[in-house]
Amino acid sequence: MSGTACACRENCNEIEIEIDYNLLDRIIRDDYGGNKEAMIMMMQAIQRVYRFLPEAAVKYLSQVIEVPLTKIYEVATFYASFSLEPKGKYILSVCTGTACHLRGSGGMVEHISKRMGITPGRTTPDMKLTLETVNCVGACAVAPVVVIDEKYYPKADIATLNDFMDRLNAE
Amino acid sequence: MIEATQPSNSPPVVTKMINPAALELYRQELQSRQDPDAPVVIVCCGTGCQAAGSVEVVDKFKEVLTGTGWSGKVVPMIKPTGCHGFCSRGPLVIIQPQDLFYQRVTVDDVEDIVNKTILNNEVIKKLQYKPANSKEVIPKAGDIPYYAKQTRLVLKNIGKVDPTEINDSILHGSYSALAKALTRMTPEQVIDEVANSKLRGRGGAGFPTGLKWESCAKQEGTRFVICNADEGDPGAFMDRSLLEGDPHSVLEGMAICAYAVGSNRGYMYVRAEYPLAVKTLTSAIRQAEALGLLGENIMGTGFDFKVTISTGAGAFICGESSALMASLEGKVGRPRPKYIRSVEKGFRDSPSNLNNVETYANIPDIVNRGGDWYKSYGTERSAGTKVFALTGNVYNIGLVEVPMGISLMEIVYGIGGGVPNKRALKGVQTGGPSGGCIPIPHKIPDINVGYGKLAEAGSIMGSGGMIVMDEDTCMIEVSRYFVNFLVEESCGQCTPCREGLIRMREILNRITQGEGREGDVELLDEIGRFTNNFSLCGLGTSAANPVLSTIRYFREEYDAHIRDKKCPAGVCKPLFHYEIDPETCTGCGLCKSKCPVKAIAGEKKKTHVIDQSLCIKCMECYKNCKFRSVKIM
Amino acid sequence: MKVLNIVLNGKAVTAKAGQTILELARENGVFIPTLCDSPALEAAAMCRLCTVQVIEGKWPKFVTACNFPLRRDAEVVTDSPEVRHGRKLIIELLMARCPTSPELQRLAADYNCDLERFSPLNDDCVVCGLCTRACEAVTGRTLSLAGRGTAIHVDTAFQKASTFCIGCGACVQICPVKKIAMEDVDGERRIILHGKIASRVQLPKCTSCGKYFGPVIDLKQVMERMGEHLIPPPNAAVCPDCSRRNLALKLGKRYFEQYGVFEDEGQADAG
Repeated sequence: MSGTACACRENCNEIEIEIDYNLLDRIIRDDYGGNKEAMIMMMQAIQRVYRFLPEAAVKYLSQVIEVPLTKIYEVATFYASFSLEPKGKYILSVCTGTACHLRGSGGMVEHISKRMGITPGRTTPDMKLTLETVNCVGACAVAPVVVIDEKYYPKADIATLNDFMDRLNAE
Repeated sequence: MIEATQPSNSPPVVTKMINPAALELYRQELQSRQDPDAPVVIVCCGTGCQAAGSVEVVDKFKEVLTGTGWSGKVVPMIKPTGCHGFCSRGPLVIIQPQDLFYQRVTVDDVEDIVNKTILNNEVIKKLQYKPANSKEVIPKAGDIPYYAKQTRLVLKNIGKVDPTEINDSILHGSYSALAKALTRMTPEQVIDEVANSKLRGRGGAGFPTGLKWESCAKQEGTRFVICNADEGDPGAFMDRSLLEGDPHSVLEGMAICAYAVGSNRGYMYVRAEYPLAVKTLTSAIRQAEALGLLGENIMGTGFDFKVTISTGAGAFICGESSALMASLEGKVGRPRPKYIRSVEKGFRDSPSNLNNVETYANIPDIVNRGGDWYKSYGTERSAGTKVFALTGNVYNIGLVEVPMGISLMEIVYGIGGGVPNKRALKGVQTGGPSGGCIPIPHKIPDINVGYGKLAEAGSIMGSGGMIVMDEDTCMIEVSRYFVNFLVEESCGQCTPCREGLIRMREILNRITQGEGREGDVELLDEIGRFTNNFSLCGLGTSAANPVLSTIRYFREEYDAHIRDKKCPAGVCKPLFHYEIDPETCTGCGLCKSKCPVKAIAGEKKKTHVIDQSLCIKCMECYKNCKFRSVKIM
Repeated sequence: MKVLNIVLNGKAVTAKAGQTILELARENGVFIPTLCDSPALEAAAMCRLCTVQVIEGKWPKFVTACNFPLRRDAEVVTDSPEVRHGRKLIIELLMARCPTSPELQRLAADYNCDLERFSPLNDDCVVCGLCTRACEAVTGRTLSLAGRGTAIHVDTAFQKASTFCIGCGACVQICPVKKIAMEDVDGERRIILHGKIASRVQLPKCTSCGKYFGPVIDLKQVMERMGEHLIPPPNAAVCPDCSRRNLALKLGKRYFEQYGVFEDEGQADAG
């Protein structure tokens, strides 16, 4: 999926994404029967396709299931797993559960933030990396845990992260 | 999986169970096809072991055992299982029938295991388990104190059954309790049995399960059975382990509940951060429906029960029952401000029975073996067993199931193996972000773990998180961590919780930054009590527990931060520095070699010195000094 | 209807089963302060200012008066030192959010608040949720409580000026700290929230006088929601002022012209 900066208005950092409305229909109507109660699951399914929730897709969802846009926006900003901003090519999640915290995951988040110039939840301007924190992935025995694109890195340390960021910068 | 590894001995042809007796016949049929002497390779594939590489180990076993080089008589069965709970030693491999326990197995060890152990019955020493501070290896899984000292009732099948294969669960007795309930018990009898067991909700609040079911059964109209699998406490993973390791016990428990309260619709609200659990459950439901053990006309009895999985989207507050139900309805998960119980008006404003994963998983055995059997474990007020997620500064990290009322010291030392690195135990945090710190052994010698005793000590049972903290843990920083967590995870709708948490974080931040003021502790205490009294939901009314309990037990640490501008544990960076004690330093040079910023100077065999202007307080010298000569000042 | 015996601040009174403590208190002339309560909307119990103590069994518990339904005989204390202390904290915490609100200033004086304790976190909103609930009751399409955790705030979808708003102004009316503004500028109605334009509604131009007037576009829909679909929507082309004047003129013409007293608009207005 490629995105280009939106040229609609000044100070607009939206990314233009081609929305496949047939695909949205399959998710909304076929998979979940257009049922309002399944809205969160529909949003998750849409996010799996685009890796974030594009505004146009959310608007279409609002029309089809007849839930006001503002209510969907409320849900999208309430739950941690939804993103209204496009994600980077790689997603690096640092577990900040208690066990990981006690073993220095906070310092790791700080380290990545400093080196890549992004705070948790944000993406680098070149759209390569999104930094996230996750409350607990339940792998406390191998704390601290870092998850890069759904692969777990047990007992991660600054060196693991540096390796990854070096490779990323070399790409 | 039976068919994959025993092609010559395929499972019986399966149709739907037409009556409960057919289930027993089917189980016996499966049993007769088992060869007790056939080798079985059990590989733990819980999230912890997977993180350590167990999937690759399974793949390697499959490759070696199905390859042409295999010369054994019977092809061993490879059984990937759910989390065994001994996560700190993963990936774990157990070879049956010898019950040989191998730990930290890598892909490179697989050929050795096959050639030496499976083919020639030869033990591989380097993979065997040796307890901390011991030279003796313990060869058998059953003899390892970590397991031997537990009482595994709810976890009994985990690590034994292949969670992806329902036949394996049926072999271990799954759905026999449902068959018993449907044919030989009335709904009232089921509720009586559960009430008699004195089982209390394992999700945190500890509400008597039988009483809840009884109130729900009394309601009119459509009723719902909901399973709370939104395990959000950071550091707790018992529900995940159950869902990944023995999904049928949870589903069976829900079905029994549905029969008892008169429902035929079930919802399972699972955390989206647990993709493996969702996958396992989805497949488990499909397999159970195919056999007529869930879905319509279960075992030909006319009882219908359909379970739907709904995934959460990352909100700790959705563990609160009314918030969970709002979320199930596709809405924002904010707790409902109504003084009405969800057994009366819950999901879709209908009567709803909500229990957590571990509660449901306890039900089949209570039905099969009776409430008297269940309450023979535990104490008068806290019956049965509880699974705890033991983490933090302890040797054996993982899940432990123990009878209620057990001593906390026994959990930490007897099962957990004690505190590593010769550090002293400072306390145990229980109950997650809404819990408190129990200051064993110095301020409270020990405590018997139960609902009441934990509450007296200013903590809660919660869902069973247990975080061991050693002397290097700063209690103020731990409070700050939990408060910060809740600042992000509160739903924010009510003033005391929202504003109270923001202010508590502000104050704790300044204390840990060395800018604490006289009166800050009193202000924290005042806000904390207010938040706990005035908030809307269970999260708000327990949000201040970590702060209040650390003030209660570690007041002197707050004073040290505020008055002396010192962090005695050496965690809050602006409030301490390291110095090397010239009396005990042997000049071994280890600290010098470990220091990433070359801040340590000194000749071999002479006292080393830290250049404070360069030191970044990364702890490397402190952690590595064999003589504890690096001091926190 | 079951009648309950309630001891309200030491005085024996009776209550109807299911009645809230707030209703009972008002009936009996007992004042309980509220911020997020409106008789037009279902109680949300968000501000917690109306917290009181109730004893139904052995122990007193803190409950919110606005939504706690009395179901059995009980004792209610609306002004105990514990309750007053909690309210004082709520007001102090909210004053740090919205120090210029006259309503909060009055409460702060009543409860002897110490306004130095909490540093300002001024965002001109006390997150009482009234505006979002009012919006939901009218159309439910413009304002909601967005944001994670304690960062909860009133917002529009994607933080953009809403195109669904009907400009009814209910949010402006109901805000207890009076921090939502409405202005009619250049032929459009704007709702101003957090200093930003939260919605723009095109105003119709009166075909009679040429002035812009209050939006009526969706009045039909509002009336339908209120179950008053039988009332014909007002004429959207003429402003209410002109509409009234035109009607008066018509009537004046009909009844007074014959007496020769009806000459111009000025007289019609006077009559």
